[in-house]
Amino acid sequence: MLDFRRNKREISAAVAYLVLLAAVGGVAPSFFGAGNLGDLVINNAPFLLIAIGMTLVILLGEIDISVGSQFAVASVLAGVLAKAGVPVPLLFVAMIMIGTAMGAVNGFLVGRFGLPSIIVTLAMLVAWRDGLRWVTEGAWVQGLPENFQWFGLGQSGGQLVIVAIPLLVFVVFAWALRNLRIGRAIYAVGSDAEAARLAGIEPKSITFGVFALMGGLVGLAALLNAVRFNEIPSNAGIGMELKAVAAVVVGGAAITGGRGKLPGTLVGVALLGTIATALTFVGINPFWEKAIQGLIILAALVGDVVMRKYEERSAEG
Amino acid sequence: MENVGEQRELRTELPLAARWFPNNEWVLIAVLLVEVVLFSVSGANFLSAANGFEISRLAVEIGLLALVMTPIIITGGIDLSVGSMMGLSAVVMGALWRDAHLPLPLAILITLLVGVGGGYLNAAIITKLRFPPLIVTLGTFSLFRGIAEGLTRGIENYSGFGENYLFLGQGYLFDVIPTQLLIFVPATVAIYWMLERTAFGRSLYAIGYSAEGARYAGIKVRRSLTVIYTLSGFVSSLAAVIYVAHLGQAKSDAGTGYELMAITAVVLGGASIFGGRGTILGTVLGLFAIVILQNGLRLSGLPAELAGIMTGFLLIVVILFDRYSKSASAAPAGADTEEEFEVKNSQVGIISAAIILTGLIIAGSNWMLVRSIRDNGSAGSSEAKNAVQNTGTGKKAVIAMMPKAKGDPYFISCKKGADEAAKELGIELLWDGPTDLDPAKQNEVVEAWITRGVDAIAVSVENKEAISTVLKKAKDKGIKVVTWDADSNKDARDFLINQATPQGIGETLTDEASRIMGGKGEFAIVTASLSAANQNEWIKYIKQRLTEKYPEMKLVAIQPSDGDRDRAFTETQNILKVYPNVKVVMGIAAPAVPGIAEAVKQSGRNDVKVTGLSLPNMCKPYIKDGIVDSIVLWNTVDLGYLSVYAADALVNGKLKKGDKTFEAGRLKSIEVVDDEVRLGKPFIFNKENVDNFDF
Repeated sequence: MLDFRRNKREISAAVAYLVLLAAVGGVAPSFFGAGNLGDLVINNAPFLLIAIGMTLVILLGEIDISVGSQFAVASVLAGVLAKAGVPVPLLFVAMIMIGTAMGAVNGFLVGRFGLPSIIVTLAMLVAWRDGLRWVTEGAWVQGLPENFQWFGLGQSGGQLVIVAIPLLVFVVFAWALRNLRIGRAIYAVGSDAEAARLAGIEPKSITFGVFALMGGLVGLAALLNAVRFNEIPSNAGIGMELKAVAAVVVGGAAITGGRGKLPGTLVGVALLGTIATALTFVGINPFWEKAIQGLIILAALVGDVVMRKYEERSAEG
Repeated sequence: MENVGEQRELRTELPLAARWFPNNEWVLIAVLLVEVVLFSVSGANFLSAANGFEISRLAVEIGLLALVMTPIIITGGIDLSVGSMMGLSAVVMGALWRDAHLPLPLAILITLLVGVGGGYLNAAIITKLRFPPLIVTLGTFSLFRGIAEGLTRGIENYSGFGENYLFLGQGYLFDVIPTQLLIFVPATVAIYWMLERTAFGRSLYAIGYSAEGARYAGIKVRRSLTVIYTLSGFVSSLAAVIYVAHLGQAKSDAGTGYELMAITAVVLGGASIFGGRGTILGTVLGLFAIVILQNGLRLSGLPAELAGIMTGFLLIVVILFDRYSKSASAAPAGADTEEEFEVKNSQVGIISAAIILTGLIIAGSNWMLVRSIRDNGSAGSSEAKNAVQNTGTGKKAVIAMMPKAKGDPYFISCKKGADEAAKELGIELLWDGPTDLDPAKQNEVVEAWITRGVDAIAVSVENKEAISTVLKKAKDKGIKVVTWDADSNKDARDFLINQATPQGIGETLTDEASRIMGGKGEFAIVTASLSAANQNEWIKYIKQRLTEKYPEMKLVAIQPSDGDRDRAFTETQNILKVYPNVKVVMGIAAPAVPGIAEAVKQSGRNDVKVTGLSLPNMCKPYIKDGIVDSIVLWNTVDLGYLSVYAADALVNGKLKKGDKTFEAGRLKSIEVVDDEVRLGKPFIFNKENVDNFDF
């Protein structure tokens, strides 16, 4: 598994992350307090689900910038359903279904009609967000039932669920992407859709499926995020789409499709999820956060050039 | 190249429509016609020359970005960094002019060079390192905005520019033509000429078809791309210069979200995101399709959120149409069969029809509604009679009221009171504003109201400098202007409905924190965004109060929440760990306080208390838990109520300069001092009284 040649992008990202951690730890050792690491994991766990979905979408050579808006819609719906008395297990099913339905709209337009995903999801980004504003007029969902927060399992029990589900999903998807026919088919379509079609894969169905799956993961993430609180705001998820794309790219995936691995995405999520907290611990002014985020993305690109040079040289040699 | 030449030859043999509109621009013209017809029926004064020019003024900044985005998209690229470049340019210009004391023309010149530099950075990474533009410009999208925020610490707001410069963004030539059209129109012609009348322009199409093919045909692909990305940076800076003149202020948040608007205009205009196709005519039509939609909805008194939903649908319809017509004109590709085209054709038709129908229904129902209200008026229902008596003119007074942001729970509670007052007075209340904090949008809405013709305008001002010019314009047209919640320049309005001064808020917040902490120790603040004008003013007074009265209290951190509850939660978790001695965390944005409270609750730190400025309903559970000790606010419902009453009294002449009191419905007699109507002091909500309020 740790064959450097095959995993050099993922390993490099991980090394970069470790260097960052070491630097932060050197300045502020309290960063490694158990409490802080725990909080970091819990706060970023729901977002991991979205990054997993985004990895699949990007592997196809597509993009989905509507996830932030979908996330807001799903969060509010989770609250509305919980208030209507839907029990917790059913809530999971309902949220995955609602998310899948939203994703399927993208999937239908991109897969069936072959429309460019960036435009389709740009349209849905605006439409879902403004639709939600229109309906809620910005009001929060309040007065949720007692057992909504932490699924009624108490704080530590709830936190366990919030971390366990994304990790489980991660393991299953990482395995499936490597080992199942359908997983390899995603790579095939992302590399060359026409060749994949000739090889007996249906790119249209794969595309539709991946976008629907993306939606389902967003629905699940929205639910897991919502139960950390006892009120639900209606403006969640603004800017989430770009953060997800950035996490995937920093993790070594090619935005043009066909190349990328889920462990890389995990590192990307960890890296982007740690920066804000690390800045506070090190004592750097939060004004610089966006600039540093931009630099990390550009640094990942430069790193990729180095990899490419290395690849070319080893191909020659 | 060959491909392009072939197409040109073909074009001469094509029917007239295809020759005139090579890229199906007629679809957009149809859309525009439908919009114009619908809105001239439903919108007041929509179809007037003044409104036409006003629309074009609002389109200039996004229009410029869309113009330079067109060649980029034609080559199959994209530039997400244009909006952020506007922010960076605005800040650089402001700093050079105010802090470095450079003459303004020189500051502008250097700013434009910064734009060139930023554009070239994009170009260099894209062409030299061979990366997809999407991801490169995603990086610079963060980087440029981040530098702008870092340089100004988010706080700086450069204003006070000279009249001559402001004329560029606010003035009129011959009393009707907005000045910035003098830049926009030549820019449009220049880019049109470059793209569609020069060999260089044709080479961009060739690159879009096939970069590899273009290279073999002798086109210098890298050089061409470098030119257009650099041009994009330059024009973004130019747009920023106009934007600053338009609003009279330069801040790091200039142009936020403009990149998506520009891309939407270009794609709506028929450019293919895969490259190879697109025209300037299309882009301009796409731009106006969006801008007219927003303006028309405003003038019709329809929710502005509809604009987003309809733009989304329009986008999809246009690319569906595009896909169909492309497949039909080219030789059938691969898997697609003739039959499938027919299906697609009818589907496209159905969707288009559905959207136009929806538009018709909405506009129609609105029209019916307006009619029915008018009929009621003449029939003399009791409510309408009230209105007649109140206004004394026999016509329903129309009061237009604007929050800083529509979706903010704080303003929703204000609206509750405003609606109540409107009902009591029997007046028509228009409630509209930006969906997110956006000073440019506020101006746009006021402009629309002036065009529509309202009796009074009541604004919660996001940005003093920016809005004062338009408010003055409204006053000149005989519209009564009041400000509420936050003030404009004094000469731009008749009265201020004052709920509390920034100083009063800052001091009350500090006093509360001091009371909880016993006058000494460390505390931290979680604010809205780092560039939020109000919050920064409060913080200024908090700091002032600390030095004057509480030297033993120490403000250890100010962290941003961006108005996002979840972000406030994370920031508080960090604060609690990095500054373990913090005794109080103060939230000064309504959604931040519940986030802070939840973080404190989950940390199990019973020694830390929360206070701040928020809404009672949002914090109720935490106030009852004892985590939130108290929150400071005024009665927001009463604020909305009072604002409408004051505006109405102003229209009727019941409230004049020099009055000492005036009667405001259930609030009884209200104190008036000079040109301020006073609601009273900030109120402190705590465990004992929070149940008495519902907002």
